Amino acid sequence: MNKTLRNPYVYLLFVLPTLGLYGLFFVYPVLQSVFYGLTNWDGLTPAKYTGLDNFVKAFNDEDFWISVKNNMYFILFSLFVQVPLIILFSLLISGVKRLQGFYKTTVFLPSILSTSIIGILWGFMYHPSIGLFNNFLGWFGLEPIYWLSDTKWAMLSILVTNAWQWMGFYIVLVLAAILAIPKEINEAAEIDGATGFQRAYRITTPLIMPVISVVVMLSIAGAMRVVDIVLVMTNGGPAGATEVMASYMVNKALRYGQYGYGTALSIMIFVIALLLTAIYQIVFARRQERIEY
Amino acid sequence: MPKVIKKILPHLVLLVYVFVILFPFVFVVFSSLKESNDQIVNAPFGFPVQMAFDNYADAWSQAKISKYFFNSAYLAVGSAVSSILIAAATAYALARMRIVKVSKAIYQFILLGMLIPGNVLFIAQYILIQKLGLLDTHWALYLPYTAGALPFSVLLIVAFMKAIPSEMEEAAIVDGLGVVRSFILIIVPLTMPALVTVFIINLLGNWNEYLLANFFISKDALKTLPTGMVGFRDAFQTSYPLVFTGVVISVAPIIVIYAFLQRTIIEGLTAGSVKG
Repeated sequence: MNKTLRNPYVYLLFVLPTLGLYGLFFVYPVLQSVFYGLTNWDGLTPAKYTGLDNFVKAFNDEDFWISVKNNMYFILFSLFVQVPLIILFSLLISGVKRLQGFYKTTVFLPSILSTSIIGILWGFMYHPSIGLFNNFLGWFGLEPIYWLSDTKWAMLSILVTNAWQWMGFYIVLVLAAILAIPKEINEAAEIDGATGFQRAYRITTPLIMPVISVVVMLSIAGAMRVVDIVLVMTNGGPAGATEVMASYMVNKALRYGQYGYGTALSIMIFVIALLLTAIYQIVFARRQERIEY
Repeated sequence: MPKVIKKILPHLVLLVYVFVILFPFVFVVFSSLKESNDQIVNAPFGFPVQMAFDNYADAWSQAKISKYFFNSAYLAVGSAVSSILIAAATAYALARMRIVKVSKAIYQFILLGMLIPGNVLFIAQYILIQKLGLLDTHWALYLPYTAGALPFSVLLIVAFMKAIPSEMEEAAIVDGLGVVRSFILIIVPLTMPALVTVFIINLLGNWNEYLLANFFISKDALKTLPTGMVGFRDAFQTSYPLVFTGVVISVAPIIVIYAFLQRTIIEGLTAGSVKG
């Protein structure tokens, strides 16, 4: 029997397709990125080794750091706006008996849709003349706002759309954790006279910290790779106000033909992602003790 | 009295949220049935007076939405099927076959791929596709979609396959079942729930993918729904009803599938993110 499960030919047959594709689309591109990152390749003339020039350039590239800052807005917005709302809505949904399934299904809906379609949809919500928001302002006699083409408002508009798309996904995650808490704990607290608010704040919320921590990690990961919503809604504009790291990198390489610099930027993005993961580990993961019921 | 308020208040807050979620959809459906820009501009949220169903026929033919739709469907399904087949076979080799040391090394090697955040390899992959001469063909999407789903799929399926007790398989092998048939007849049926989960995650991911589709494909006839619709929006800026109609057509199938499979989809997507 062991012989059957040690059949090397079958083993190879089963493993090689994965290794082949993985090698071609992960390993090889990683090596290529490191290689091109050290050159000034423009896609046409032969690549010339330039050492760390690209990285020095990136450190002094103000536009790049603006895009880094915009990625940070995504993280801050999810930490300070989305996460509290996610906890609030999950608590509310877990507390109701009627319509619970309906709420869950509805709030989850946007997260299965294509970001580009959502970008188009919300582009119309922000439309200067037919959009919802300006009509709303109109009722109060306020001047219309050019949401996506005003540098003051463009970033916030995208953040709101992004939150609209993803909050439901996280709510369902947190909701599952809340519903997994044994009923006895809350019942005991209720008998002891704890109000609904006290129970939510002092019992449920601490107990769901592990899943909140997962939500934070997923938000950071999502914020690091955000790009399509920006490309669809503003294409980085107006005047670079909504440019994110990935869109900046793609533009540099594909539009301006600076492949060497573009790949160097991709390495920078990787390093920034690693740094954020480290910070996350220190701030959140270490405090996360295992909770036994 | 306060007790009633206590019961109703959560519903009120939640219904506001549900309204915020659903409003854009109602808005596009209404607008897609209006005859002209004027009707939308005059009463953006009004109920359409004359139902202009012609828009649907127009958008379907003029915008080649049928074409985009077909491209998206066969690329998304094709890649998802390919990755699930390849990933399941590899996961079987890693989790069930007894070449342990090699398996451990391969597992760790694939795990490394999960550390690289999406998009970081985009430019290198673009150069690769260009060198292979695949730009502007569907291979340029099919191959990266299939390959991109592999690390995650393999790791998740390995976890499930490891949890299956070995007695059944051992008994079958003692009775003379070969390794390939043991994989197909015993392990695959037992891991079906995990395979369905991974399949749905990959299918949705491929169906919605925008970045690669946008830069690897420029021929209109080869575009997928996400990029095709953005192109459509930019081309038909003067005819809002048509654009809205396009949005409805491209969202509707997903919503219909979601209505039937909501439990599987919700569980699949959330389980994937927590375990993966």
